[in-house]
Amino acid sequence: MRRSLTRATLWGALLAAFAAGTPTMVAAQGTTGTIVVTVKDAGGAPLPQVQVAVVNTMIGGQTDDNGKATLRNVAAGTQQVRALRIGFAEQKRSVTVAAGQITQVEVTLTAVAVSLNAVVSTATGSTRRVEVGNSIGSIDAATETKLKPVSNLQDLLNARAPGVQLSAGTQSGTGARVRIRGQGSLNLNNDPIYVIDGVRMTSNNGSFSFGTGDAVSSRVVDLNPEEIENIEVVKGPSAATLYGTDAANGVIVITTRRGRAGAPRWSVYTETGRLADNNPYPTNFTGWSGALNGPCRLPGYSAYLAAPAATQSGSNCSIDSVRTYSPLVDPDATPIGTGSRSQTGIQLSGGSEALRYFIGIENENETGVFKLPGFEQRQFDSIGTGNHYYTRRPNALDKQSFRMNLNSAISPKLDVAVNTNYIRSTSRLSNSSNATAGIGSHAFGGPGYQNNGTVAGTGTPLMGYRAWTPGYSWQELYGQSIDRFLTSLNAQWRPFSWMQNRINIGNDFTARTDNRLRLRGEGAPLTATYRLGAAENARAGIQNFTVDLGSTSSYQPLPWISTKTTVGMQYVHYAFNSNNAGGSELPAGTQQAGANGLPSASESSVTARTLGLFIEEAIGFNDRLFVTLAVRSDQNSAFGTDFQSVAYPKASVSWLLSEEEWYRSPDWIDNVRLRGAFGASGVQPGPNDALRSFAAAQTNINNSDTPGLVFSTIGNEALKPETSTEFETGFEVGLFRGRYNIDFTYYNKKTSDALISAILAPSLGAANNVRRNLGATQNTGLELLARGQIIDRESWGADLTIAASSNKNELLDLGGTPPQIGVNNRVVEGYPLAGWWGRPITGWDDRNGDGILTYNANASLNEVFVGDSAVFLGYSTPRYTMSITPGVDLFDRKLRISALIDRRDGNRYYNNTERIRCASRLNCNGLNNPNASFEEQAMVVAALNHPARTNAGYMQPGAFTRLREISVSYQLPSVVTNAMRSKDATITFAARNVATWSRYRGVDPENDFTVTDGGNFPQDFQTFGPASYYILRLNLGF
Amino acid sequence: MRSSMTITRGSAWRTRAVAVALLLGACSTDTLLLAPDPDLVAPEKVLSAEGANGVYLGALGRFRDITGGNESSWLFGGLLADEWSTSSTFVQNDETDQRQIQVNNGSVTGMFRDLARVRTASNQAIAGLATYQPTRIAERAEMYFARGFAELQLASDFCNGIPLSNGAGDSLVFGSPQSIAQVFGVAIASFDSARALVAGRTDTSSVRVERAARIGKARAQIGLGDASAAAATIASGTALPGTYSYNHTFAPTSGDNVLWGQPYSAERYIVGDSLEGNVPPSYLVANAIPFSRAGDPRVPTTILTRRGQDGQTRIRRTTLWDRSTAIPVVNALDAALIRAEARLEASDRVGVLFILDSLRASPRTQGALTTPVMAALVNPGSQAGMVSLFFREKAFWTFSRGQRLGDLRRMIREYGRTAANTFPTGTHFKGPAYGSDVNLPVPVDEQNNPNFIACTDRLP
Repeated sequence: MRRSLTRATLWGALLAAFAAGTPTMVAAQGTTGTIVVTVKDAGGAPLPQVQVAVVNTMIGGQTDDNGKATLRNVAAGTQQVRALRIGFAEQKRSVTVAAGQITQVEVTLTAVAVSLNAVVSTATGSTRRVEVGNSIGSIDAATETKLKPVSNLQDLLNARAPGVQLSAGTQSGTGARVRIRGQGSLNLNNDPIYVIDGVRMTSNNGSFSFGTGDAVSSRVVDLNPEEIENIEVVKGPSAATLYGTDAANGVIVITTRRGRAGAPRWSVYTETGRLADNNPYPTNFTGWSGALNGPCRLPGYSAYLAAPAATQSGSNCSIDSVRTYSPLVDPDATPIGTGSRSQTGIQLSGGSEALRYFIGIENENETGVFKLPGFEQRQFDSIGTGNHYYTRRPNALDKQSFRMNLNSAISPKLDVAVNTNYIRSTSRLSNSSNATAGIGSHAFGGPGYQNNGTVAGTGTPLMGYRAWTPGYSWQELYGQSIDRFLTSLNAQWRPFSWMQNRINIGNDFTARTDNRLRLRGEGAPLTATYRLGAAENARAGIQNFTVDLGSTSSYQPLPWISTKTTVGMQYVHYAFNSNNAGGSELPAGTQQAGANGLPSASESSVTARTLGLFIEEAIGFNDRLFVTLAVRSDQNSAFGTDFQSVAYPKASVSWLLSEEEWYRSPDWIDNVRLRGAFGASGVQPGPNDALRSFAAAQTNINNSDTPGLVFSTIGNEALKPETSTEFETGFEVGLFRGRYNIDFTYYNKKTSDALISAILAPSLGAANNVRRNLGATQNTGLELLARGQIIDRESWGADLTIAASSNKNELLDLGGTPPQIGVNNRVVEGYPLAGWWGRPITGWDDRNGDGILTYNANASLNEVFVGDSAVFLGYSTPRYTMSITPGVDLFDRKLRISALIDRRDGNRYYNNTERIRCASRLNCNGLNNPNASFEEQAMVVAALNHPARTNAGYMQPGAFTRLREISVSYQLPSVVTNAMRSKDATITFAARNVATWSRYRGVDPENDFTVTDGGNFPQDFQTFGPASYYILRLNLGF
Repeated sequence: MRSSMTITRGSAWRTRAVAVALLLGACSTDTLLLAPDPDLVAPEKVLSAEGANGVYLGALGRFRDITGGNESSWLFGGLLADEWSTSSTFVQNDETDQRQIQVNNGSVTGMFRDLARVRTASNQAIAGLATYQPTRIAERAEMYFARGFAELQLASDFCNGIPLSNGAGDSLVFGSPQSIAQVFGVAIASFDSARALVAGRTDTSSVRVERAARIGKARAQIGLGDASAAAATIASGTALPGTYSYNHTFAPTSGDNVLWGQPYSAERYIVGDSLEGNVPPSYLVANAIPFSRAGDPRVPTTILTRRGQDGQTRIRRTTLWDRSTAIPVVNALDAALIRAEARLEASDRVGVLFILDSLRASPRTQGALTTPVMAALVNPGSQAGMVSLFFREKAFWTFSRGQRLGDLRRMIREYGRTAANTFPTGTHFKGPAYGSDVNLPVPVDEQNNPNFIACTDRLP
C-alpha cells in the first residue's frame, strides 16, 4: 500500500508540476469564422486527399472528391492555410478570416515527380514530415498491394525501407523475422512493435502451440494488406522514444484505409495465382558395391574408398560405383507440387463530410507447394485409409477479413473514428526441417538409390526417403484457427483553435485454437508409441488493450516562433491465457483430446502492463527550423520490485536549410533539409523474469502419480528494462525540380543495461539462466534512400528507387560474465551478438595425389588443415542490404512495368542441411563422390574426421541477389471499362521470388527455419526453399 | 455567449492536469500494473506444512530425473563406457560414445545440472520438513539419501574438480572444485546424515531409507577404494533381504522409464558390443563387453534389420525394461556385489566366486525380467582374471544403472588397469578412432561460478 501511494503521488506530482510550470498564456479568442479551402492541380482539376491546416493551430482536415475542405472555428484575423499531399509541392496561403463569415480560399498545388509522404504519424499525432528530426520509412500500401505481388503484411515490409530486414518462413501462412537497424538485445525479443490506428497491435511471432520444426504462424500475417493505407517505419529509439518501453527495436505504424467524402466508390479486386518451387535440391549419394549388389557405406569416413580396413573377417566391402538419386526431383516421388492462390475483395468507401466510411471484405486462399507424392497417393487410394485432406495438402491458409472504418465530424470541434476489423483464418502447416517426424529429415536424408526398403512395420516402399515417406509425416495435422477482432476508437476534440485533445482506445483480441491430431495407427514410426495416436487442442486468448490520451496545444509567442506542447498518457495491457488439453493413445476412430488414453492438461498465463506519461515540446523557428524535446516515463509490471520507473528522453532538430534567405545553391538543388535526433527507448524484461518462484511438477512415487513443487526461477528484484539510446543524423535533398530525392541517415544506437540471460553455474542446481542488466551493445550504420524520375515524358517515363543500408553490430560489454560458448556461435565482447564461430579450415593438400582428401593424425600425411582455435567466421545475418526498384511507364502511362531487386550481403549462412547430410546421413556429395571438389571434401573431413570437428565449412557465404518482384500492370482502355461499367480497371501480372543469384551452396540463402523462434541464427536445416508466386490480378473501380 | 468567453491557456492546462492526476491517483498505478501469474508459485507459498510436502515430493521428482526419469548420466555414462552405442543423430551422443566429449556438450551440461538440482531440491526439502513437518523423519532422511546419491553419481561419472554449490537460498553460494575423492566423502556425509536421522527407528519408511543410505554409503566407500569398509557398512545395520530395492517408478502419465524410452522407443541407443558398424565394414572394439551378442539373459538383446534414429545404425535393443518398469536405485544385489568386491580386494577369489555364483543360482527380478538360473562361473585362476570376471559379472547385473563408468574408472585407479585396456578402443564405427575420455567433463557453463575454471584433470 505504501508503494501504491508513493507511485500515485509521484504521478500526480509530475502532472501537477507540469501544470504549474506551464506559463499562463493568454490568447484572446474573440470570434471565429470558417475557411473553405479548394485545392486544385495545375490543370485546374480538384484534388482530393489533400491535408489542409491552419498554421499554428490544431485545425485541419482533408479535401473531398471536389477538392474542398471546410475548416471551422478559425479565429478571426489573418491566418495561413497550408496544403500538403504526396506527389505535390507544399503550398501556403494567407487568408483573412472574418468573424462569423465563411471565407473561400483556393490553393493550386504543383505536381512533383518524386516526393515523400508529407505527413507522418508520430506518438503525439500527425506531423509534417519536415518537422521531424528522424528518418521515417514510408510504404504506400494502397498502391503496392494493387500493383505488386503482395500476399501479406510481411511482403509489404520486405525490402521496401532501408534498415528494415525481413526474412520470412517458406510455408504459406508462416511469420517472419523482422530486424530494424540490427540486433540490439542479446537475449530478449528483437522484433519491432506494431501500432495500428493508434493502438498496440498483437504481433506475436511463433504464435502456435506446437513445434513443427519449421517456421510457424505469426499474428502479423493475419492482417489484410489491402485494408492498409500506409505504413510508417519508426526505426530506432531516437524516433520511438514516446512509444515507450518495448519500442527500442522500432515501431511499425499502420494506418488503415479511410473513406473520403463523396459518392460511394466501389473497388473490386480478384487475383489468382500459382505457387511453384523452383529451388535446386541436392542429390543423394551412396557408395555401391557390385559384389554385394548393395550399398557399401563407409560410415564416418570422408572420402571415397578411404575408410580403414574392416577388422572383422567377411565384413568388408569395396565400392566400385556411386549411386545417385533424390526423391525430391523424381516426379513420382517428389513431395513438391504446384500450389495455388486466390484472393477476392470488395471495398466501398464514401460518405459526407460529417460521416465517412470505408468497408472492406475479402476472402483469401493459399495452398502451399507440398503435396502427397504420386506413389503414395496410389498407395493410400488402394488401402482406402489415411488419405486425409491434410495428408494430401499439408500446408494451406484460408483467411477472411471484414473491416469497417467510420470517421465522423460530430461537431466542428470533435472528430471521432471507429475502426473495426474481424479476421477469421484457418491454416495448417507441415512438420519439417528440425523435426525428426517431419518431411525434411527424410527427403534430404535418404540414400542415393530408390529401392531402399519399406517404412518400418508397413509395406510402403521408401522410394529413397530416409526412414519414412511424406504421407507418414503428413498424417499428423498441425492446424490453427483464428478469430480476431481489432477495434479502436480515435477521438479528437478541439475545444479551442489552439488545443487538440485526443483519445485512442483499442482492443486487439485474438481467439486462437491450435490442433494437433494423429489418428491411431497413423503417423511416423518415430517411437514405439507414436502411432498409437494423439490429439491436442490448445486454446489461447491474446489481448492487447490500449488507452492513449494526449493533449496538444499550439502557441505562437512571437511571429517567428511557433510551439506545440503535448502531454500524454499511455496504458498498454497485454495478456495471453491459454489452456491445452492433450495427451496420447487415442482409441481407433476417435480424434478428440478427451479420448486420449493418456490425457494431459495445462494452462499458461502471461500478463504485461505498461503505464507511461510523456511530455513533448515542439518549437518551430520561422517555419524552417524545428526543435523537439520530449521525455517519457514508464512503469511496467515486469520491472523488479526494487526498480520503480524509467525515463526516456528525446531531442531532435530538423532544419530546412534551403529555406533560409541566405542560402544559395545551384539551380538543380531544390531543397535541403538537415536533421538530427537523439532519443532513448527500452525493451521490457520477460513478464516473470524478476520473480523468484517454484513451479508444479508431476512425478511418480511408488507407482503413484504425485504432484510436487520444484524450484523454478531465482528472480532478480533489481531488474529494469534495457535502455537503448540512439543518435541519428542525416539529410534530405530534392534535386532537379522535384525529379530526384535523396535521403541519407547515419545512426548510432547503444543499448545499456542490456538484459542478459546470464547462465547460472549448473552446480547451483537452480534454473539455467537468470535475467540480469549486465551488458552493452552497439549498432551503427548508414541508410540511403534515393528516388528518381529518370524520364518524365507525358506519354512515358522511367523511375528508379534505391534503398540501401549497412549495419555494424558489436557486443561492448558482457558485464563480467564469461563468454557464452555454443557449438557454432559465441557471445564475445568486441564481436557481433549473433555471429558464427568455429575452427577454420585453413587449407588442404592432396599429398598423395589420389584426388581424395583425408585426415591423418600424422601431420606429414594429413591433407586437411584446421586452425587451432575457434575464430569469428562472420555475421549470421546480412550486414548490407540494397533494394533496387526500377519502373517504366509506357503507352500514355497506361502500362507500368516494375521490379524489385533485393541484394543482401555481409553474412554467412549455415548450411546445416549439408552438414547433417555429410556428418550423419552420409549421403552428401563431398563424402561420397570421388569427383567432388576439394573444397567440399575438406568440409566433410573437417567436420567428420578431423579432431576439431569443425562445422566452419558449412558457414557459407550468404550473399545473394534476388529478383524479388516483377509486375506488369495495364490500365484497361475505356472501351473495356465501359463494357464492364467500371470507372477504371487495371490488370496486373506479377511474380515474386523470380530468380536468385548466390554463391551459397545450399537450397536457398533465405530458407531459414528459425524465423519465428525469436533467435538470430538463421540456418537452412532440412528446409525447403521459398516458393515462387505467379499472380494475375484484376482491379475494378466503380 | 460562449464565443465571447476568454479562457487562459494556463488555467486549461492546470484543470486538465489535475483531472488526470486525480484519475491516476484514484486508481493507483499499482492496480494498473498488477500482473498476477497463476503459473508461478511464490516462495512464501511453500512456507507451510503442505508447502514443505510439495517441495519434498518435487525433490523426489528431481531425484528420479538423474536415474531413469530423464536422459541422465546413467545413459551417457553407459555410452562413454561400453554399455551403449549411439544410434542417434545427435552429435552430443556421438562424441560421448567416441570418448571425445566437448566441454560445451549440451546433454552433459543438462545432466550435471540435474544432479546439482537434486542437491538443491533436497536441501530445500530438508529445511522445509524440519521446520513445518518435524515428525516426518524418514522423509527428511530420504532427502539426505537423495542428496548423497547425486553426490555419489557426480563423483562416479565426472572429472576431478567438481564444484558443489548451493542455489537453494536467497543468496547463491558457489562451491570450489573438489576432487572426486572429496565428493565421495561429501556423499558419505550425506548418507550418514540420513542414517543418523532414522537410526533405531523401526517404521517401514525409516528402515527402507536406512538400507538405501547404507548401500549408498558403501558404494561411495567403494569409490574411495575401500571395499572392506564398504562391506562393513553393508553389514552394519539390520539384515538386508535379498529382495530389498529402493526403486524409482514410472507411469506413462507422469513420464516413461527413459532407460526404455531413449533406447527402445526412440531408438537412439543400441546395446553395446565389441563389434560395431553393422553394415560392411565392421570394426572390433577393444575392451568392450559384447553385451549384445553375449546372449546373457541379464541383458536380453534383439538385433533388428532396420536402423535406429540415425537411419544408419542397425538396432540392437534390450527388453530389460518396458515403458513403466521400476528401476532400482540401490538394491540388495548392489550390496552383494559390494561384499564380493571386498572379497576381491582381499584376493579371496573363492569368496568372490561364491557370492557371484550365489547370485547366478537363484532367479532374480532384473528390470522387467526374471533372470533364470545361470551356470556357475569358472574360476579364472588369477587375481587379474578374477578382476575381469567380477567386473564383467557386475556389468551384466547392473546394466545401465549408472555404475559401469565408475567401475571402469576404478579398474584403472585401483586395479592397475590402463584406459587403453579398459575403455572402448580402436576405430569407432561412425568416425575416427575412439578418443581418450574416461569421464564426463564439468561443463563450460560452470565457468559462471567464479571459483571454477575447468576440470582439475581428466584422470580416471
